[in-house]
Amino acid sequence: MKVSLEWLSDYVDLGGLGIDEISHALTMVGFEVEGIERAGLQPLENVVVGEILSYIQHPNADRLSVCQVDVGDGDPRSIVCGARNFRENDRVIVALPGAVLPGDFKIKKSKLRGEVSMGMMCSERELGLGDEHAGIAILHDRPELGTPVNDLFPKPDTVFHIEITPNRPDALSHIGIARELAAWFKRDLSYPELRTNYADSPEGRLVASLECREPELCPHYRGYSIRGVAIQPSPDWLKRRLTAIGLRPINNVVDITNFVLHETGQPLHAFDVAKVRGNRIDVRRAGDGESIVNLDERKRILNSDNLVIADGERALAVAGVMGSVDAEVDHATRDIFLESAYFNPVSIRKTSKQLQLSTDSSYRFERGVDPKGAEYAALRCIDMILDIAGGELLGPPLVTGEPPMVEREIDLSPGWVRQRIGFEISDEDMVRSLAALELTVTKAENPAGEPCFRVDIPSFRGDLYRPIDLVEEVIRLYGSDRIPEGTVKASVTLREDDPVPVYERQAAALLIGKGFQEAVHYSFRSEADVKRWHGDIPLDQVALENPLASDASHLRTSLVPGLLDCLKLNQARHNNVERLFESGRVFREFDGNVHEIFSVGFVIVQDGPGKWRQPAKPDYYTAAGIAGDLLEQAGISINRWDIRPIAASPAWQSGHAAEVGIPGNGYHAEFGLLDLEMTREWDLDSPVLAGSIHFLPEFLKRPRLRHYYKPFSLLPPAIRDLAIVVPRSIPSGEVERVLRDIASSRCSDQMILESVEIFDIYTGTGIPEGHVSIACKLIFRNLERTLNDKEVNEVFQLIQNDLDQKDGMQVRR
Amino acid sequence: MEEKLKQIIAFVETEIRNIGTAADFEQFKARITGPNGSFTALSKQIASLPVEERPVAGKLINVYKKQLQGIWDATVSRLEREELARKIGPAVDPTLASTDAGNGTRHILVQVREEIVSILRKIGFIVADGPEVESEYFCFDALNTPKDHPARDLQDTYYTAKQTPFGNISRKEDERYLLRTHTSSVQIRTMLEQNPPIRIIAPGRCFRRDTADATHSANFHQIEALYVDKGVTVKDLKADLDYLFRSLLGPDAETRFRPHYFSYTEPSFEVDLKSQHLGKVGSEWMEIMGCGMVDPAVFEEVGYDPEIWTGYAFGLGIERIAMTLYGIDDIRYLYQNDVRLLSQFK
Repeated sequence: MKVSLEWLSDYVDLGGLGIDEISHALTMVGFEVEGIERAGLQPLENVVVGEILSYIQHPNADRLSVCQVDVGDGDPRSIVCGARNFRENDRVIVALPGAVLPGDFKIKKSKLRGEVSMGMMCSERELGLGDEHAGIAILHDRPELGTPVNDLFPKPDTVFHIEITPNRPDALSHIGIARELAAWFKRDLSYPELRTNYADSPEGRLVASLECREPELCPHYRGYSIRGVAIQPSPDWLKRRLTAIGLRPINNVVDITNFVLHETGQPLHAFDVAKVRGNRIDVRRAGDGESIVNLDERKRILNSDNLVIADGERALAVAGVMGSVDAEVDHATRDIFLESAYFNPVSIRKTSKQLQLSTDSSYRFERGVDPKGAEYAALRCIDMILDIAGGELLGPPLVTGEPPMVEREIDLSPGWVRQRIGFEISDEDMVRSLAALELTVTKAENPAGEPCFRVDIPSFRGDLYRPIDLVEEVIRLYGSDRIPEGTVKASVTLREDDPVPVYERQAAALLIGKGFQEAVHYSFRSEADVKRWHGDIPLDQVALENPLASDASHLRTSLVPGLLDCLKLNQARHNNVERLFESGRVFREFDGNVHEIFSVGFVIVQDGPGKWRQPAKPDYYTAAGIAGDLLEQAGISINRWDIRPIAASPAWQSGHAAEVGIPGNGYHAEFGLLDLEMTREWDLDSPVLAGSIHFLPEFLKRPRLRHYYKPFSLLPPAIRDLAIVVPRSIPSGEVERVLRDIASSRCSDQMILESVEIFDIYTGTGIPEGHVSIACKLIFRNLERTLNDKEVNEVFQLIQNDLDQKDGMQVRR
Repeated sequence: MEEKLKQIIAFVETEIRNIGTAADFEQFKARITGPNGSFTALSKQIASLPVEERPVAGKLINVYKKQLQGIWDATVSRLEREELARKIGPAVDPTLASTDAGNGTRHILVQVREEIVSILRKIGFIVADGPEVESEYFCFDALNTPKDHPARDLQDTYYTAKQTPFGNISRKEDERYLLRTHTSSVQIRTMLEQNPPIRIIAPGRCFRRDTADATHSANFHQIEALYVDKGVTVKDLKADLDYLFRSLLGPDAETRFRPHYFSYTEPSFEVDLKSQHLGKVGSEWMEIMGCGMVDPAVFEEVGYDPEIWTGYAFGLGIERIAMTLYGIDDIRYLYQNDVRLLSQFK
């Protein structure tokens, strides 16, 4: 909101205060100053009144004239001018050499196409006075020659752009802001005095009846009849006030209603009585499909959610938002029906939103104007209309409803205030602060019999209804920049960090140590992108209701596509990047519901950049190993035989990717080589390995048991190697699982199977086509004694026999 | 004889230098001390010497035998050394870069987050977590946001399209799911879950329906703090924030509270920051965050008695702090992930 310093000074004396002090005060009472603007003519040196004695056509330029200008020093000077709107003996504004015009425009003696020019005659725009630039400014009232230009115009004004928080609709006016400044600077606030009393007015009404059919939506409405106004442009002072805060003057009556809105915060509306049909005003809901052409000359279709002010035939205003051209006050208007009302804030907000029409009026009504302010504002407006536009008030007004009851009392214990703030503010200071805000404070006793302040809250402060609300008022006026420094009171709460961030830190540390750069991407992806990852399945579960852009319409289901974007971006910029990771939330549907999942994703570029010595190329096993490490960090040890190949997935390269775990059980991981087609679609030069690990947050929160110590033997082991020939279709993990099962079952309590390890995979000579030989090392021990060859060989033989019995497995001998 | 022995030694000392492999060495050694070696042949001649000469000759042989053995031993260890040296290859150029993957770096947003978390952990705050998809109750209702508040509009807040239930995100009733607009929702989840006293920080991702530009992002990160206990005051809030910013920026950092409005705190403040550490931008007050005392209405909503318990809450934008601390002028850089940015903050 814009407030003019000059205007504020009508209500509070701000004399002796600098702009900075006032700006600081506004900020410290809670209205942040977002900008300060100077309005009107700034102080200008060497800019004076002059007279054009004569002029001739410039000898070398068709569009220029050479003028002889007298500035009162008896020494006419030659000035070249491009304007055409002057005549001989016109008085004009002359900037002499040495003057600096707004925009740091320095005036010097110069030569224009060979003719000497001793200054410049100015347009309004060049002086920073307005937009007029069609020609130079002509001074029709012929001020004395040589008069400094600042003597011709009022002093410049300062306009503050301030932010008004939504809890303070009372501050959406000059009086509202003046009240705050008066309280801050401890100065007096004076309201404009009312002069009109409709009891003294001749009885009569220009509109026969007023009916409010929606007392819920319009609890209080007042309509005043004013007869015989003369519509004219507003006087300069009024235009100046309005233009200072960015409003366009229209005519005196409309300008006065706008002025009073910005003075008191109460929106008003004037109807031209001659245009009211049926001699009545109704406050009613619009009919569905009823149309109105508003003052902005746009036609709008209304419905029954919208409240309108109507005559006997049609809507004349969208209530509290904007009037209609049908009842517009124009140059021919003689009689006025002036509206001042209290509308339901929610209804105005809905209508304003629905019509996408926010006005100074709707903005105030939807935040809540002073429920008791309608009458004062109307009378203030009538005073000004009668003064400026003439006419006479007929009385009494048409009124429906009553101002809502909003006044209240709050009992406030000063000791309680000090307890809440934690520092000392005296009783006297509290009373002074509250009183300065026009709250009436009396000494009383609370129900417990303790002394307290009883604070009467005026109708315009709807935000104050509890003692805590007054604590804020006390701090505000004490100065929240004066809250004393204190020491930290640390206490323990005996809680551990949430397991999700704890795991996130551990996983990141692990990946950082393996050379991964962390990336952070947006949570939104395009539909095409999500489909590319999951295939053609319904994705509306992770779609946004109201995306801003089609490339950000769905919640991410994996972190890997973002990482591919990152690889692409860096490749395009010729940046070397090989390993990236990200952790964060992804969203996936399973078991019929969507779930929020904590995920860690990583990518590894397979063909890294050329180096002076080429390190081993990463492959599936690199990705699988890292995925396993990440799961292990979460307390999950993966049995290799539980890893399942990913066969048909749009995202993963068949035969080079696998998964483990089930989302519904709490964790799931996919890892391996990304679909080669897909990486090509991302314009990446190299195949990319990736991992996508998913945890339900609640899974990470599961209690983790301490592992008990498992005793181990200090005696020498018995080691046996064997090779098993299997068809390629049997994965080695399966072979290992079978071998472990058999070996464990064949071991007696005298013999512990300590480990099983695959140490070689062989195909070729001696191995049948389509088969593979898997060499395993078995280690046996006993806790108390050294095993002897005989017993080990016996068990080893049984194991080999058992293996031979298994389908497709053959021990190589 | 001694002459001959000397000749053998001289021969061996010359030739042995050309021996480069263990195999050559064994062959050469056999030529000298093998069964048919020259030295062996010479020592056999002792038997043919007159008896009185034998002890002298024997001693002589022994002296030279030891000398030879010394040469053999030295050669064996020389060959071993040479073999090992061959294994490890020529001397390295110590100034060449390692071809192994070096350490990665954490993202600057995460580094700033972790720094703030560790500062606040020191004064008893622990990290709480909450979902990014929230229900309207936790994000707005319970935080005292009016029913018709513009923040709830489709214009400002993202909602999920199909309002099917999220399997692992609880709702109060059947209110709408949305993407949380602040981490303040974690306050509510925590207070509903446990009794006071509470000291939590909740870092996390938030969403607002903003078009991206240099200072706006539809995704951003906040750290929420909530402290509930008996006798928590405005002065405590100021003290803790002063501690936080002095830990981040040094002892000259100053904060200034300005009255403001948030629906879930009363009184509410915006906090301005000034610090020499920030250079030119730090010489003027700059708006950095919002805070306030927990509104009694919020306590009532979660079943805490506001006459017994008081508390404060504050919310920091991590992007804003990171950009301020490191002088990054465009928020989009933080999400673009050019490795030249990622790897800068080792």
